[in-house]
Amino acid sequence: MKRTYQKPTIVKLQVGLLRDKKSSLSRLLRREIDGVPVRDLVERFGSPLFVFSERRLRQQFRYLKRLFEGYYPRVEFSWSYKTNYLDAICRIFHQEGASAEVVSDFEYEKARRLGMSGDRIVFNGPYKPKEILRKAVEEGARINADSLDEILDLEEIARETEKKIRIGLRVNMDTGIYPRWDRFGFNLESGEVLNVARRIAAGGRLEVVGLHCHQGTFILEPEAYGRAAEKLVRLARRLEEEFGWTIEYLDLGGGFPSRNRLKGLYLPPEVAVPPLSEYAERIGRALLASLPPGDYPLLILETGRALVDEAGFLITTVRVCKRLPDGRRAYVLDAGVNLLFTSFWYHFRVEIEKEVAGPPEPCVLYGPLCMNIDVVEENALLPPLSRGTRLILSPVGAYNVTQWMQFITYRPRVVLVTEEGRVEVIREAETLEDIVARERIPEHLR
Amino acid sequence: MIKVAVSGINAVDNPGPGLGIIKGLREGKTPVSIVGLAYDAMEPGVYLTELIDRAYLMPYPSEGEEPFLNRFLYIKEREGLEVVIPTLDAELPLFIDLAPQLASYGLKTFLPTREQFRLRAKDRLPGVAEAMGIKIPTTLSVSSYEELGRALSELRFPVMVKGLFYKALRAYTEAEARQHFQTIAAEWGYPVILQEVVEGEEMNVVGVGDGEGGHFGLLAIKKLWITSLGKIWTGVTVTHPGLLTAAEEFVRHFRWRGAFELETIVSGEDIYLIEINPRFPAWVYFAVGVGINLPERLLRAALGQEPERDWEYPAGKLYIRFTDDLVTDLEIFQHMVTRGER
Amino acid sequence: MKISRLAMNDEGFIFDPETGNSYTVNETGLFILRKLKEGLSPAEISMALSEEYRVSFEEAERDVEEFLEDLKRYGLWRKSHD
Repeated sequence: MKRTYQKPTIVKLQVGLLRDKKSSLSRLLRREIDGVPVRDLVERFGSPLFVFSERRLRQQFRYLKRLFEGYYPRVEFSWSYKTNYLDAICRIFHQEGASAEVVSDFEYEKARRLGMSGDRIVFNGPYKPKEILRKAVEEGARINADSLDEILDLEEIARETEKKIRIGLRVNMDTGIYPRWDRFGFNLESGEVLNVARRIAAGGRLEVVGLHCHQGTFILEPEAYGRAAEKLVRLARRLEEEFGWTIEYLDLGGGFPSRNRLKGLYLPPEVAVPPLSEYAERIGRALLASLPPGDYPLLILETGRALVDEAGFLITTVRVCKRLPDGRRAYVLDAGVNLLFTSFWYHFRVEIEKEVAGPPEPCVLYGPLCMNIDVVEENALLPPLSRGTRLILSPVGAYNVTQWMQFITYRPRVVLVTEEGRVEVIREAETLEDIVARERIPEHLR
Repeated sequence: MIKVAVSGINAVDNPGPGLGIIKGLREGKTPVSIVGLAYDAMEPGVYLTELIDRAYLMPYPSEGEEPFLNRFLYIKEREGLEVVIPTLDAELPLFIDLAPQLASYGLKTFLPTREQFRLRAKDRLPGVAEAMGIKIPTTLSVSSYEELGRALSELRFPVMVKGLFYKALRAYTEAEARQHFQTIAAEWGYPVILQEVVEGEEMNVVGVGDGEGGHFGLLAIKKLWITSLGKIWTGVTVTHPGLLTAAEEFVRHFRWRGAFELETIVSGEDIYLIEINPRFPAWVYFAVGVGINLPERLLRAALGQEPERDWEYPAGKLYIRFTDDLVTDLEIFQHMVTRGER
Repeated sequence: MKISRLAMNDEGFIFDPETGNSYTVNETGLFILRKLKEGLSPAEISMALSEEYRVSFEEAERDVEEFLEDLKRYGLWRKSHD
């Protein structure tokens, strides 16, 4: 009987690196995603491959909905399209009851195409082209105005249509977090919001019915949401008293973190990222404490990352093994920063599809691009891998399939593992035809 | 015999508190057997077999909760651990988070709560100092170059440039401050804290809060000589009434649970709070030496017993740190690197 | 040859008395070092590996080559005809 083989290794012992090695290995293994073997997925759909789990998407949505409804009676989730606007993903969230939160003409049209009526769309963003803004007005979308120029545009549309338009105001404020996103909306502390409100009231063509505030991204301070909620309620009260409007909704935006590992954060996400229940509690408590009983405006939440990130995986294959001049091991994968835009900010969890024996060693994971910046992970601790080993990177569900780029090569398939365990392609791999279809060669170059 | 795990056994030029705690436990009335938790096979404590019965390598806390917990439960199984006293800033949040789980496996701790742990953030100090009835040096938190410029025009040089949790650099000029700002922002992120330097006596208090507003003893000291890394080398006990009252107020107001160290500057009648450490300092053996065995009292509190609360100590006791040499075989090193334990 | 001077134990701890450096090897790494000490050639070692372990000769040969590169980088081994 022959013995089990492992790739031979030798590691030089260096003080400062003589750490425990065994315990970190158990978490490296992932043979399957929702019961479908990684190996089958790659054999059927190729590598690299994005895999989404329908079960995780629905579970997370229901969990968050129950959680927030436990702290506040009227909650609406508005699916943040920019986080992941694949049709199938949006459909799942819409089925669960989410409305659509869009920030551009493309996203607005995509939401309409998916059957969302105007009144089920929240329209945000610093620039809304006039044509789409007019359409959104006609279709009754919830429009959150971001600037005075946009208010002028809206007043003009109101003049043309001779109808009063109901709008929301995006507000930025100090909630004690850094960096402060003060380039969007109207500032609260400086009195800008009130000035704009006076301007709107004087114009008489618009009516403010909502307030919106989006503080930033991956916010690790639940109390910041409590402070934002409190300030919005106070502002709403002031607007109602001074201008006779009724504020029907308070939109606290998104920015809730997932259990991804932000670079520069030493502690693991299990510890560094507060549980979402803390966010729900702070928001609910702040709202209930400052609102008169019975008079509850709709709370809108634009959670993106917290809903989708942990439901997405990327399977990639080790294509080349090499040693760098400084002695570190390096692997070239078939997926790089072209597919994993978020690797600039996050350290992904790196798992291996099968058990690999041998001591883990610090190594670099490179993507396949011919560019120095194409580094997926500069310091992974992995046992010696051989060519063809498949790695599973996660969480990658948020922003990657919207911010990925078509550069040098084709973008791969995206599949969904359904709740019944079937695997469905939800975006086909790109072909040469897809990419050149929009190109035109002038006559003289033919 | 109580089996106790203690971390921070890296008695190097920037020493962890582990060995001081272990010496205290060994001198106490409760018989103990010590398991040392190390993050590197070369931590000196690993080789001190007289003080530490068994030693284990731990995964870094940054690798995640699961490997950390698994390793810890393995050690618990092997050794029959009853109590763990974590001492390092990096591992404390993990232990605080895991405390209920550890308790369900029969492992006892005596740690501050999550909420108490957060008080150590530099931007929380003004509130803490106010609750204690003392001052803080003029402090501004900044998160951009613009804010930095504004802050520097309001402060007097020299200023301390600090990370939210760790690291402090002194700047005498604006150029230096800008450079330090960059260094700290790159390493610890925003906000960066700017603080005026207050001249005065550097005094620290160590203690163990009972979690209900009382404590199991306090000791105040003044640093007489520090190393180039800012670590105490010699110190002397003091009985500054204002400082001790403020420390008791800290424990009472926040109902502090577990070990803590308060770093202050005392200038005449004024006391300035500089830092809160939610753990024992590396010089904790000073307390043991003057008759207040804080490590043992914390152990007894963790075991659910009622520790002593007397804490009278004389002013003018000296603390002298010194270096020592040890010669040993490669064997322990070998075991640590191949088996991860000895 | 440096290999012959190295102190090795069964757990894969290697000490180089000349430089004071220590290393760890895994089971197959130790296997290769012992065969090198016995004077076997890389090809013979690859053969021995594939006889002893569940691995093809080709894969073993590639891995032995990589392992020898590592040894060379640490200054523990030279190709005899270099």
